[in-house]
Amino acid sequence: MAEYSRLAKGHFTSTGQSQVVNLPFQPDRVELLNYTLANTNATSQNVVRAYWDVSMGQGQAVIEGYNATPALIFDVISSGGISSFAAGQLLQYGPVYSHNSVASADFSITAANPAVVTTATAHGLGSGNVVIFSNLYQTATTGMQQMAGVPMTVTVINSTSFSVNWNASGSNYTAFNSATSTGNVGSWKQVLYPYLYAPEQAVITGINRTVNEQFTGAANTIQTAAAHNYQVGQEVAFRIPSPWGTTQLNSLPDVLIPGSPIYWYVIAVTQNTFTVGQNSLSAVPNVAGYTAFNPNQTFASFPGLKFPQVVPVGDVNSGGVQISAGSQLYPPPLLWNGYSNTQASSINGPAIQGAFVNNTSQGFVVGAGAGRVLTTASLVGANGNVIYWAAYFDDLSVN
Amino acid sequence: MAMRQAEDLILRDYIVSAASDINAGGGSNGDNPTNLGLSDFSLVATTLDSNNAYKFMSGIEGMDRFGTGPIRSAYFMLSSTELQTDFDSLVGQGVLNNWNYPTNASALPSEWGSVFNVRILTSSEAPVARGASANAQDVYYNAVMGKQAVTHINQDGYSMNLIYRDPYYSGMLAQNATLAVKFAQAQAITQDTAIRNLLCTRLSSLGGP
Repeated sequence: MAEYSRLAKGHFTSTGQSQVVNLPFQPDRVELLNYTLANTNATSQNVVRAYWDVSMGQGQAVIEGYNATPALIFDVISSGGISSFAAGQLLQYGPVYSHNSVASADFSITAANPAVVTTATAHGLGSGNVVIFSNLYQTATTGMQQMAGVPMTVTVINSTSFSVNWNASGSNYTAFNSATSTGNVGSWKQVLYPYLYAPEQAVITGINRTVNEQFTGAANTIQTAAAHNYQVGQEVAFRIPSPWGTTQLNSLPDVLIPGSPIYWYVIAVTQNTFTVGQNSLSAVPNVAGYTAFNPNQTFASFPGLKFPQVVPVGDVNSGGVQISAGSQLYPPPLLWNGYSNTQASSINGPAIQGAFVNNTSQGFVVGAGAGRVLTTASLVGANGNVIYWAAYFDDLSVN
Repeated sequence: MAMRQAEDLILRDYIVSAASDINAGGGSNGDNPTNLGLSDFSLVATTLDSNNAYKFMSGIEGMDRFGTGPIRSAYFMLSSTELQTDFDSLVGQGVLNNWNYPTNASALPSEWGSVFNVRILTSSEAPVARGASANAQDVYYNAVMGKQAVTHINQDGYSMNLIYRDPYYSGMLAQNATLAVKFAQAQAITQDTAIRNLLCTRLSSLGGP
């Protein structure tokens, strides 16, 4: 009875955040063993083993760890456990978090840089996840609708608080609170698979013409709302509508060579920022002399508001990812894929750096959830823990 | 799912991911993006014209027939069938259904009609982001493209295979039925200035299936 079953095993070093494991199948059963903690003296809240079956439900797990005594006990994780996924279609979303959708599921957003979201119940997100907002009306004419509809990377502060890459400190933003807003219909939801293709077009949320001008970073650096997945050496083009200020970056019009788009070279990258160097017109563009980027858009302007964007237009002509100690023989691209702040390998083989790659994937996610008794434990372990896993897709699943 | 549909869906998802967007702003529903207004068609065609994109179709000369009008040379816009009610609401304001063309001999089977320099093709598989607008309404992605915007390459000598082994015997010892497709293809945006995703919402929710 092994016609269709799939078996896989492996290990990873935990970063302390939820971990994605890409597989050529979607497992219905996963087992974990924290080798580091198994090799450590019994300590309260250490989770040594975990077991998940799809019939338990997504995000659940049975764990075996130490209580305060410390004695080894079984416990259950009901949120932030293990879940399987299949990222095959665009534009899928998680549950809507809003007033009344869950008991006491209100949330608020600060008018600050970055904007910070505080939720009444655990938000269940991990850093690196992507969310979008809707209906951020504090009153009929004030609120934060200017940031609604934009996919944004989340940085988790704690279980009920996270920040997003948006500068809402301008005078046109009014702090939002779904408990007191007009109609109480404000909401957010997770974009489940935001990077089926990479690199992507991205919405710009800040431009540093000089060091630390709008966010902590070097001069000539652009911050994007969600991860951009650009590579050093890549060419990019800008589309910045005039209300946002820095239109001099735009690829068109080109006053020197009419009709020829102006492309910029990327010289440094992080998850949500990239630095540009020369462009196709000038080796030393005077970015400091450009108009300042203006994120302080008026609330009244939000209907039909056009967002500033950057798009990838050219790859890196130096081939694929270089082989290195411990890497795969033909290393696939490493991508921020919206599951965590850690880059993960595409399952689709090697590719030229910066070229568009299909990033569809499937596999399972190990969350950082805690148990019912072991309330401060973490399923995925602490940073540096070595986790061994085995994943199965069974031929015959009776129930 | 039809065998070739898989290829189309991959190309669709790629365009949604990689091409830059224009949020519709000419509509009246107060959302971001708004519903499609006439000025949005004008804006997107003007943008592509300014970027020196090539049009797909030459125009259709006017004829002496009731209810028809000449058709401009045009870019293609790939839209959802769910937007057809919005297009209908614009008929008479510059929008022509393909039955109002002087001759619809050159109209494609999926062609709904024409607005200014845009000819609209509709499909039930066009991308829709459910509840993703500023007001939590569905956002429709309408790829408007010039001729040189996108290329699709079926790799040499390796088109598409349907792999099917029928369940000729159903039993514990012969569980070997399988159905799959295998194909090798590549897509590229060859000219990023010649393509825009025109994002919009709908004038009002229709309900129904």
